[in-house]
Amino acid sequence: MAGDTKAEDGRDGESPLAVERPKGGRLQAWFADHGRAASDASLFVSQRLISSFLVWLMVGVALTLPGLLWIAQSNVQAINQQWQGSAGLTVYMKLAASQQLIDDMEIRLNRETGVERVIRTTPDQALQELLEQSDESAFLRDAMAAVGSNPLPASFAVVLNDSSSYLQLDALSRKLSAQTGVDDVVIEMTWLERLRDLSELFNRLGSGLSIMLLIAAVLVAFASVRLAIESRLGELRVLALIGATPAQMRRPFLYFGSAYGIGGGVMAIMLIAVFLNQIEAPLQSLLVSYRAGIEIAGFTPGFLLAILLVGWFLGVAGAMLALFQRGGTDKPPS
Amino acid sequence: MARLQLQHVTRRFDNGQEGLSDVSLSIESGSMVFLTGHSGAGKSTLLKMLIGAETPTTGRVLVDGSDVSQLGPKQMPWYRRQVGIVLQDHNLLENRTVYDNVALPLRITHLSAKDIARRVRGALSTVDLSDKGGLFPKHLSTGEQQRVGIARAVVNRPRIILADEPTGNLDPYLSRQVMSLFHQFCDLGSTVLVASHDIDLIKDQGCRILHLSQGALVQDTAASSEVAT
Repeated sequence: MAGDTKAEDGRDGESPLAVERPKGGRLQAWFADHGRAASDASLFVSQRLISSFLVWLMVGVALTLPGLLWIAQSNVQAINQQWQGSAGLTVYMKLAASQQLIDDMEIRLNRETGVERVIRTTPDQALQELLEQSDESAFLRDAMAAVGSNPLPASFAVVLNDSSSYLQLDALSRKLSAQTGVDDVVIEMTWLERLRDLSELFNRLGSGLSIMLLIAAVLVAFASVRLAIESRLGELRVLALIGATPAQMRRPFLYFGSAYGIGGGVMAIMLIAVFLNQIEAPLQSLLVSYRAGIEIAGFTPGFLLAILLVGWFLGVAGAMLALFQRGGTDKPPS
Repeated sequence: MARLQLQHVTRRFDNGQEGLSDVSLSIESGSMVFLTGHSGAGKSTLLKMLIGAETPTTGRVLVDGSDVSQLGPKQMPWYRRQVGIVLQDHNLLENRTVYDNVALPLRITHLSAKDIARRVRGALSTVDLSDKGGLFPKHLSTGEQQRVGIARAVVNRPRIILADEPTGNLDPYLSRQVMSLFHQFCDLGSTVLVASHDIDLIKDQGCRILHLSQGALVQDTAASSEVAT
């Protein structure tokens, strides 16, 4: 073997300190190295399937809650946005209210601060709408004929602008209720207003919880990669001895971190899917009871990709932390 | 020009002890030199300095005139790829086959699979282990494991071979076989430095002997022309 050294190399006289670059270009070398690290990581993970599964599960659980909170948040926002188009209150005039009082009320409502628009509904329009919406319009028509007059009052749908809060809506409602000729003031969909507050709460609570859980995911990846480093310390020392670069020694562990992170992301996707499947029926029932037939949104391909990317990022971050914390793995054996 | 040079090298440890004390020596290119002395004499410290794992407290360690301790983290791996290192406890990777262990230094240099196979076969053939490539180190005898370690050290065709007690675990017959291998590499142009405390074995080799004692170079015996076989 050594016999053909001089013949092939012809390097006698060169300094061992001369830098010998890999043949085939840097990019090819870089890809070859990544291929080696990736196959090394797959082998390592496949040889420890149970412990790897537990790591995936831990990272997955840590990713699931932020994922679910994000889906909840985006759904609450969707409901809010639907509601914002018809936000406000309805003012019902007394049946005996004069035309003058009704006209004055319309002018007054249009002058109120925060009011975006006022939609007036006359008793005739209200009756017409009622008949159109009712499945038993013939019966209603007969009933109206028996009564002899329209029993429905004039009303105003008052739409407030986006910046109006529930408190302003409530104050306006009280003020209008006290006006002459006003029979009743109904605040529309107050439960959605509460939902908006709830959404804000979700937002703040969710952000804090998510940050903590994502840190937990990084720490899980960190601990796992740290163990991997410890279990391969002998190998790392040999690699340092034979001239592996620090990047070559770090690379397999970054792949471990990626594998743990992406695996955790896949686990999180499965957990979220199961969870959504479990809550879909009761949630739909709840929303329908509020006449808000909304499908659960957010579980889209983009969301799935985002979960995988976040998992990958957290896994790599954990691995980098472990490598940084461990350091000094490039010492040759003594 | 001398391939390896130590100029007034002192290595003082944190506890105040001196691993090496004002050592100066020079080893010519293509020669085989033995480094001997009792345990703790400073043999391993000197070898570690030559592979850049230790830095001198004072003095300089030169390889072809360049100071090894001045190599940065990016240059050091490239330097180590050109130094073959053989250790007493082999440091073979137990979860890899003999072939993979020997191929390791080549894989990090991005040689093609074909070139790697050719060189590994050659190295295994040199140490007489051609038929053991598919085995794991635990299936080999101590002597065979040591030869795998030598094959891994030389597969990259190093210009310098450093061996730290390479025959420490071997019987006299295997020890002579290993020495014979080092002579072969030396004859092919490699500079070989072997640290060993086996005086009897060393004397038979007819090579220059550097004797360390308590970190100091106390004797430098020139090579004799006779080599025991």
